[in-house]
Amino acid sequence: MEEESGEELGLDRSTPKDFHFYHMDLYDSEDRLQLFPEENTRMRKEVVQAEMANESTGVGDGNAQRDLREEVEELVHLHGLEDDHELGDEFVDENMPRMGVSEYPPYGLKRRDPAREQRDWRLSGEAAEAEDLGFGGWGSAGQCQDLREVYRYTHGRASEEYECYVIPEEEDEEEAADVFCVTCKTPIRAFQKVFDEHKEHEVIPLNEALESAKDEIHKNMYKLEKQIIDMENFANHLEEVFITVEENFGKQEQNFESHYNEILETLAQKYEEKIQALGEKKKEKLEALYGQLVSCGENLDTCKELMETIEEMCHEEKVDFIKDAVAMADRLGRFLKTKTDVEISAQPDFEDQNLDFSDVEQLMDSINTIPAPSAPVINPQAPNSATGSSVRVCWSLYSDDTVESYQLSYRPVQDSSPGKDQAAPSPPIIKTKEIRSCEEAVLICWESGNLNPVDSYTVELTQAESPEASGVTESVVGIPTCETLVQLQPGQSYIIYVRALNMGGPSVRSEPATVHTIGSYFRLNKDTCHPWLTISQDGLMIVRSERSTPTREPPPRDTHFTRCVAVMGNLIPVRGHHYWEVEVNEHFDYTVGVAFEDVPKKEDLGANCLSWCMRHTFASLRHKYEFLHNGTTPDIRITVPPKKIGILLDYENSKLSFFNVDLSQHLYTFSCQLHKFVHPCFSLEKPGCLKIHNGISMPKHVTFY
Amino acid sequence: MALKQISSSKCSGELQKVFEHVSVELNCKMKFAVYLPPKAETGKCPELYWLSGLICTEQNFISKSGYHQAASEHGLFVIAPDTSPRGCNVKGEDESWDFSTGAGFYADATEDPWKTNYRVYSYVTEELPQLINANFPVDPQRTSIFGHSMGGHGVLICALKNPGKYKSVSAFASICNPVLCPWGKKAFSGYLGKDQSKWKAYNATHLVKSYPGSQLDILIDQEKDDQFLLDEELLPDDFIAACTERKIPVVFLLQEVLARIS
Repeated sequence: MEEESGEELGLDRSTPKDFHFYHMDLYDSEDRLQLFPEENTRMRKEVVQAEMANESTGVGDGNAQRDLREEVEELVHLHGLEDDHELGDEFVDENMPRMGVSEYPPYGLKRRDPAREQRDWRLSGEAAEAEDLGFGGWGSAGQCQDLREVYRYTHGRASEEYECYVIPEEEDEEEAADVFCVTCKTPIRAFQKVFDEHKEHEVIPLNEALESAKDEIHKNMYKLEKQIIDMENFANHLEEVFITVEENFGKQEQNFESHYNEILETLAQKYEEKIQALGEKKKEKLEALYGQLVSCGENLDTCKELMETIEEMCHEEKVDFIKDAVAMADRLGRFLKTKTDVEISAQPDFEDQNLDFSDVEQLMDSINTIPAPSAPVINPQAPNSATGSSVRVCWSLYSDDTVESYQLSYRPVQDSSPGKDQAAPSPPIIKTKEIRSCEEAVLICWESGNLNPVDSYTVELTQAESPEASGVTESVVGIPTCETLVQLQPGQSYIIYVRALNMGGPSVRSEPATVHTIGSYFRLNKDTCHPWLTISQDGLMIVRSERSTPTREPPPRDTHFTRCVAVMGNLIPVRGHHYWEVEVNEHFDYTVGVAFEDVPKKEDLGANCLSWCMRHTFASLRHKYEFLHNGTTPDIRITVPPKKIGILLDYENSKLSFFNVDLSQHLYTFSCQLHKFVHPCFSLEKPGCLKIHNGISMPKHVTFY
Repeated sequence: MALKQISSSKCSGELQKVFEHVSVELNCKMKFAVYLPPKAETGKCPELYWLSGLICTEQNFISKSGYHQAASEHGLFVIAPDTSPRGCNVKGEDESWDFSTGAGFYADATEDPWKTNYRVYSYVTEELPQLINANFPVDPQRTSIFGHSMGGHGVLICALKNPGKYKSVSAFASICNPVLCPWGKKAFSGYLGKDQSKWKAYNATHLVKSYPGSQLDILIDQEKDDQFLLDEELLPDDFIAACTERKIPVVFLLQEVLARIS
C-alpha cells in the first residue's frame, strides 16, 4: 500500500490563485541593496516570512529585499528538498547582524518553475533584510513553535530538515510581530498600526493569520492529493497501453514467424524434391549405360571366344577342320547377324530443370494477409438438438482466428429403410411421478410399453406456451434405456412425449408429461423410507404416527433407513443450485438436510460424514437447534423458532444453507465437499409430520448466500 | 461540515481513507475511516458501520481485520468511527482503560464532566450518517451495522433504539447486558449517574423488552473460550432470553475459535 500524506512539496502549474507566494529573485539579488542599513538591522525581524505560514507546502521562506521606498515585485521560489543544505549555509550567514549595505548571499534556491504565479508584495514601509530564510527572524519562540509544527505536519521529512535551521532568537522578543496586516500581507507590530502605511489597513491577530494560513495549506494539500491520484491513474493507464503494445507486437511477431517458416519449409522441400529427381535421373542414365557396357563386354567376350576357337580350328587336322568349319560358319553367321547396338543409350546431358516457385511466390504474397482460420471443431451432438427434419449443429473455434463467415455442408450418411414386415412398437408410458427436475434440466423415466425389445427411444419436447401447432419440437434421439436427462431453459414449462423405435418405425407419442423449470422438483424415495413413516400420495408429506410400530413390519432392505426414522428424496443429479422448503411445527422433533445416496441407513442423520442436517428438539418448553455433520454441531441458539425452513444446496460453492423463510433470516451455512450428488433427507424423531414444498424459485434473500 | 482527508491508501483497487472533522456532538475533532470499494466509482453502495470495542480507535479495524476483500467482493462501503471523543482535556479521562477515552460506550452522557463531549450515541446514529450520506456515494436505504465487544453492544442499542434503520445487525463477542457487568456499571454510573433507571435507555437487554418490533435480523457471534465471557462481562444469555420471549429473531453462534480484533 502506498501512503500519500502530503509529502509532495512541489506544486503543479495550475495552482489556484489563493496561494500566497513569496517572490524571491535569485539572480538579480545583487542589484538590490539596503538603503537604510540602520533600519535594516532593526527591522530585520519584521519578516515578511511571517507569510510563510500562508504559503503552500514546502514553500521556502525568504524575505524579499526591498527598497524601502519602492514596491518591487519579486519572485519567490519554492525550496526543493535538495536545497536544504544550502539553506543551512544561508542561515548561518544571515543571523549575523549586518550593517550597511551588504551583498546578498546568493540564495541556494532554485527557480522551481517559471510558470508559477506571482504575487505582488507590499511590504511594510521598512526594508526587510534579504534572505532571512526559514524561521530565523521569526517573532516569539512560540510562533516559531507553531510554524514548526505546521511545517512538520505538512512537510514530513522536509520539515525535519527545516527544524534544524530554526534558531530562536531571544532578542527578537521585544520586537515581535504580533498582529497581521491583511492589506500588506505582512506581520507587523501592534504599534505599527498607527504608522502611515497601516493606518487604514485591516489588521488581525497573528494567530488568526496562522490559522487561515494553515487552512490554506490544507486545502492545497487536498488538491495535491487529487492530482496525485489522477497522475497515478494515468500512469496505470499508460502501463496498460504499454502491455497492450507488447501483446500486439507478440502477435505480429508470431504471425510473421509462422509465415516465414512456412515459406522456408516450402523452399527446402522443393530443393529436396528436385535434387532427388536429378539423382534418380542420374541413376537411370548410369544404369542404362552400364547395361550397355555389360552387353558390350559380353559381345566382346563372345567375339574373342569365337576367334580363339577359329584359331584352334585352323590348327586341326583336315577332316576335323572341315566339320568344325561348317559349324563355325553357321555360328559366325548367326552371331554376326545379331545387331550390335552401338548407340549410346543415355545422353550425358541433363535437361534443364524447370523450377516452379509459384507456390513460394504465393506464400510470400500472403505474408501480410490475415491467416486463414483453423478448422472449427464441431461439438458432439447434444441432446434435444434434432427433430425428424432438422438438426442443430454447434461448433467452437480458436480465439486467435479472425472469422468472417462459416460454411456448413452436410450429406446424409445412411439411408434408413423401414423394415418391410415388422410392425412399429407401442408407445411407452412416462412415469410422471418420478420426474425430477431443476431449473436447467429434467430427468424422465418411463416404462417401455412393449413386450418385445425396442431399438431405441425418442423424447420429444415442446414449450408449453406454444403448443404443437406453432412451436418447435425438439427431439432427443437414440436413447438406449428407459431414462434420460434433458437440458432445458430455466423458468419455462415443457410438454414431453416419448416414442419407441424399432425396425418397423417409430411408435405414436406417449401420453404427455409436463415439466416446469422453476426451482427444483423431487419426490420422496419410497425405497429409502423407514417402516414407521408414511408418505402421502403426492409424495410430499411425511407422517410419523403415534403408533410406534405398524402392525406388519416388512423386513428391512438395505435401502431403507432402519435406525433413524427417515426418508430421502430423489433429487435430479445436476450440479448447480437447488432450493426447497419444509413446513414444520415448532413442537415436533425433526431433522432436515441432505445426504449422499450411500449414507449408512443404520445411523442417525448427521452422525456421519455423509450427511449434513439441521435438527430441532423441543423439550421442557425449550427449543434446541443443532447443525449436525459427522456427529458435531456448533453451539447455536435461535430465538424465533422457524415454521418454514428454506434449504439451499449450492454445488458450485460447496455450501448448504438453512433459512427461516417467513423472516427471511439466515440461520446457518455448512461448507461441504460434494464430490458426488446428494439428496434431501428428512427424519422425525418423534411423532409428527413434515410437508415439503418444492418447485420454488430462490427467494431474493437467499441469493446472497 | 468540512471534511479533512488525513490519509489515503490504495489496497488492490480500492481506497482506504481516514478523514477528520470537527464534531458538533462531541465538540472536538474526530477521525473516522472509510473504505471505498471499486463499485463506489460507478454507483451508490450499501453502507456498513463498524463499531469498535474498548481502547480502539478508527485504526484497529482497518489495519487488523482483513475485511477489505469481502467488502470489495460485495461492494460495501465501510465506515469505522473512533470510540470516543479525543483531546477534550476532560479531567480524569485517561485514568482507566475501560472508561472515557476509548470507551464511549456509544451512549450520550448526562453527567458532568462528560456530558459536553461524550455523546457518542448521537454521533454514531445521527451526525456521522448525515456526514457520510452527504459526502460519499452511499445508499442510505441500505445501511447495516456491526461491531465488536463494546462496539457490539453499541450495535445492539443503535438497532433497538432505531427500528427499521438497519438492514442487518451483527455483533461479535458483544457486551449484551451492561447494567449487570463490571464494565457497564462503571461506564453508566460515570456517564449517566447513579440512578440505574436511567441506564436502561442504553442497555440492550432492557431495550429488547420494549422493542416495538419491526423487522430485525441479529447475528451474534461469540467465542466459547473468551475470557471476558467467562468473567461475566458479556452476558449474552440474558439478551438471548429476552429476545426469545419477545420473539426478536436472533441467531447466536457460540464458536470454538474467534479472533479478537483489538
